[in-house]
Amino acid sequence: MASDVILVIVVATALAFDFTNGFHDTANVVATAISTRAVPPRIAVLFASILNFAGAFISLKVAATVGKGIVDPAHIVGTSGMTIVFAGLIGAIAWNLATWWFGLPSSSSHALIGGLVGSTVAAVGTKAIDGNGLLAKIIVPALIAPVLCFVVAGIAIIVIYAIVGRVRPGPVTRGFKLGQLGTAGLLSLSHGTNDAQKTMGILALALVAHGSLGADFTEPPTWVIVSAASAIALGTYTGGWRIIKTMGTRIIKMDAAQGFASQGAGAVVILAASHFGYPLSTTHVINGGIMGAGAAKRLSAVRWGVAGNIIVAWILTLPASAAGGAAVYGITRIFGKGVAGPIVVSVLILIAAVLLFARRARTGTAAIGGAPA
Amino acid sequence: MRILADPVVDWSALGKVVLYSLIAGVGVPAVYACAVLGAGRSSDAARAHRNGAATFYALLALIGTAACIGAIVYGIVLLTQKS
Repeated sequence: MASDVILVIVVATALAFDFTNGFHDTANVVATAISTRAVPPRIAVLFASILNFAGAFISLKVAATVGKGIVDPAHIVGTSGMTIVFAGLIGAIAWNLATWWFGLPSSSSHALIGGLVGSTVAAVGTKAIDGNGLLAKIIVPALIAPVLCFVVAGIAIIVIYAIVGRVRPGPVTRGFKLGQLGTAGLLSLSHGTNDAQKTMGILALALVAHGSLGADFTEPPTWVIVSAASAIALGTYTGGWRIIKTMGTRIIKMDAAQGFASQGAGAVVILAASHFGYPLSTTHVINGGIMGAGAAKRLSAVRWGVAGNIIVAWILTLPASAAGGAAVYGITRIFGKGVAGPIVVSVLILIAAVLLFARRARTGTAAIGGAPA
Repeated sequence: MRILADPVVDWSALGKVVLYSLIAGVGVPAVYACAVLGAGRSSDAARAHRNGAATFYALLALIGTAACIGAIVYGIVLLTQKS
């Protein structure tokens, strides 16, 4: 009975995390297409949420990596195992709330992985961590992917300008606005293939601990796939309305060809990585593409401060969220090995989140995509 | 833990991610740019009553657009296949 209650809490927490992931990332996925006026905002947001949903079904390799390739499921067993997963999720949510509050461009994906590693080490020790998996599947791809996207978008825009440079601007702008319909769709699809699957992997790990799924699973159960896809799609749709209201304050200055190149580069890098099971920070990749397309045209057009913040976030997120995950696991254990700890921590984090959102709403300084994935 | 020599990091898979990203991320935009070039030049040629050039550029635009759509569909089909 206690294990069923903890499982319900873990599922609810994971889906809430997935919802906020979509909510924050809407800006990254649709902002470029909206700012170049390629797609009307309402259509862009609806389009993005539908394709995020569809993307979650395309490939399940990232879910397998998160579920089996970072911590050994054999050590995540019973109520204690589910509490580890819960503590990892809360550690990630706490870090996301903190970075959202301070306006740091953190990565939800890295926070999730850091939180899980931290809570596992606190509970079981380092023997349960797959160090090679962490290095090979998370850290190295995390370093390569944004740089790759920067290079791909940079080369693409140079090639595009070389081809269409002597054509009248009118047809070129119209052509690339039309092309952005395709690249924005692909980017939304790619976002679903990578980010929704992280939640699926976490849920699969919790189900393994609960005993409802074998540790050698190849795919999460269908209800996990559908619920994770729905949560991220709903988050994307909800997050979009906030962006439409405040879009005028945060315009990304780029032409339609740059938007096309950056979105296309982001989509192909994320899709290729998803195919090989690499969970990436989609925000870092998309920002890499935007900066690459900007830098290839004019170095000064790039907001290099954003690049600096991303590097700081890279360095901080994994250890900070790991510390958070470990601390949350310690707090839950104060209340014993049963269901009391997760319930108390859930209530506390919910109160903290409501207070932070209420205070931010009162001050009227809500940031868009402050803590993206 | 040897990173470069040992298969701790699957450099082959990462290399494929880099290669596919470069091919698709540069190739498809380049082909689409040819389609945009074709569309722009085709309307200019039609306005100047150069029917041969207009037809040629219109074909370029059509083929470029079709090639891009084909590449995207092929990519998605590849992704959905379980290896």
